[in-house]
Amino acid sequence: MYRTDNVLETVRMLQDENLDVRTVTMGIDLSDCAGRSMTSVASAVHDKITRKAANLVATCDEISARYGIPIINKRLAVSPASRLLEGHDQHAATRLAKALDAAAAAVQVDLIGGYTALVHKGMTPGEQFLIDSLPEALGSTERLCASVNIATTRAGINADAVLRVAGAIKNTAAATSDRHGFGAAKLVVFANSAEDNPFMAGAYLGAGEPECVINVGVSGPGVVKRAVERLVTDRPHCTLDQIAEEIKHTAFRVTRTGELIGREVAERLNTPFGVLDLSLAPTPRVGDSVGEIYQAMGISRIGAPGTTAAVALLNDAVKKGGAFASAAVGGLSGAFIPVMEDRALAQSAAEGWLTLEKLEAMTAVCSVGLDMILIAGDTPTATLAGIILDEAAIGVSNRKTTAVRIIPVPGAKPGDHIDFGGLFGAGTVLPITAPTGSEAFAQHGGHIPAPIQSLVN
Amino acid sequence: MSVMQLFQPSATGIMKDQVARYVVSVLTPDRTGLMRGITTAITDLGGDIQGISQTVVQAYFTVILVAEFKSSVTAQSVQMTIVENFPEHSISVMVREFHDHCEASSDSERYILTLMGREAPGILKQLTEYLAEQAINIEDWYFRIDGAMVTHIGEITVPSRLDIRRIQEDLRILLEPRDLRVHCRHENIFRATNELESIGLMLDLQTRDRAKPDRKLKHV
Repeated sequence: MYRTDNVLETVRMLQDENLDVRTVTMGIDLSDCAGRSMTSVASAVHDKITRKAANLVATCDEISARYGIPIINKRLAVSPASRLLEGHDQHAATRLAKALDAAAAAVQVDLIGGYTALVHKGMTPGEQFLIDSLPEALGSTERLCASVNIATTRAGINADAVLRVAGAIKNTAAATSDRHGFGAAKLVVFANSAEDNPFMAGAYLGAGEPECVINVGVSGPGVVKRAVERLVTDRPHCTLDQIAEEIKHTAFRVTRTGELIGREVAERLNTPFGVLDLSLAPTPRVGDSVGEIYQAMGISRIGAPGTTAAVALLNDAVKKGGAFASAAVGGLSGAFIPVMEDRALAQSAAEGWLTLEKLEAMTAVCSVGLDMILIAGDTPTATLAGIILDEAAIGVSNRKTTAVRIIPVPGAKPGDHIDFGGLFGAGTVLPITAPTGSEAFAQHGGHIPAPIQSLVN
Repeated sequence: MSVMQLFQPSATGIMKDQVARYVVSVLTPDRTGLMRGITTAITDLGGDIQGISQTVVQAYFTVILVAEFKSSVTAQSVQMTIVENFPEHSISVMVREFHDHCEASSDSERYILTLMGREAPGILKQLTEYLAEQAINIEDWYFRIDGAMVTHIGEITVPSRLDIRRIQEDLRILLEPRDLRVHCRHENIFRATNELESIGLMLDLQTRDRAKPDRKLKHV
């Protein structure tokens, strides 16, 4: 016997507040596909992916029906592809990219991540091939996503890699100029990347992970927003700690929903369950926005003073609720602020309240970083490198993941409106307050040493 | 008293051939002290209560319980003892011998069916006809009318051989033309969102329980 109010509350979360499982991501290690011939490597990659993930989509659909919960995306995250490129060349990198894309299509997943290089301390030839191949790899594939980790708190920031990847971002946008530079939306640059993150574009299977694993990303900004709205309506004079408590309780329920789905999918696929990533990831739909949570808290113009504190409150409460709900919470777990993918954030950016510089401040306390931001296509490469260096410095100094997924839209100027469609959303090209003036700093290259807080042993 | 359900394993250790097991059903206008009167009567007869489901519907109290007695205690004596604890003509009591009916749930799973929308006569008839045709058992049902709108919540056991997606689609086709939103979700989602037990442990225990022939009695 279940309490009827509990049943109805769960039904309301599912039916009216957009609670869903944002992604079930299968991690697959491809180390055993290495070889001297890219023909054999590509064949082995295709065989392994189609074997391991053959039933992923069908199983997710079954579980989705059983619980009446939408599973929006089914994805793959492979071990860093750069490892398969050692001893090969840049042409081989593009062939590998296409093999990964074809395998993803064969098993009907939405996206495949792991076209990845981890270069926070230095770059091997294979990693350089991968970074240099990004424009062609992302321009000629549909499902492939790429990431480059250029910094960690323990290693510091690889400024040479930053310059190289900044060039790759510009070239990727140029290679997909017919789609407003969309290729760059599938490329993310990390500091302190998470090895079990199920969300794209940055998902890959890290070195310490099993050969095959199911990680789940659960979202639910609409559920949190409605919970805050109800609290504020019922108790207009509620305090911020009461709001935090309400978010925490809601995060608890959302987390457990995700863990249930993840464990059942993993069991049916006879695959270990990895982590549940509770990240409030918005979509462009009304009622599925992280920005609307800030508005429900009382930040009517997102970007106004107080916004960073609201992000910190939300991020912390989500983590605490998730940590209590499950021992398997991992990945990024917090609040994303992808501007284009969030209707309320995009609106505030278009109105000029939410600037690139304010977003950077918010990334110091959110769970990731500068995400899905449009800038002018003629932004100098060194300026892009400066943006990446700034964001990496925040992550490295605060021992947290930060990221840059920024799209220099070819031919676009600040104020132009760009629409990628679907979950990638739409937005306005943002101005950079000082678009030049730091070239010499970025072009020094080399390495920014690890901060003193890295010496923890 | 509002709603109470409880089953517990017998702790008496009495051998089967020395005991009598009865199902007792009681209906009476609700007031305080009803459960005390019923359980006192059973205890006075040396009974061991092994399961109870009790609720109140629109000020009427009803309870069904299973109790074990020494074999010398008859159904009639149980009925009489309970009645004697209440004012004359105020209570209806029915006592029957208990027979184990576990086969209904031996290969099935519990789902929660929710139905919301405009109230109209015949909804339950149409719905229960369909469920009966599919051999889907109703274990518990609740509904509430709020103005012109109605909410139904049912606990049902669906045979594992049935495709839940087909059942969900059939229900949608059956009830949406009546301006009703119907959903059928496995009970685990409600346990996950409303209980504190670890999800991994919950699923492990469920797998183990599913293998046991008496899981219905233990679960209710």
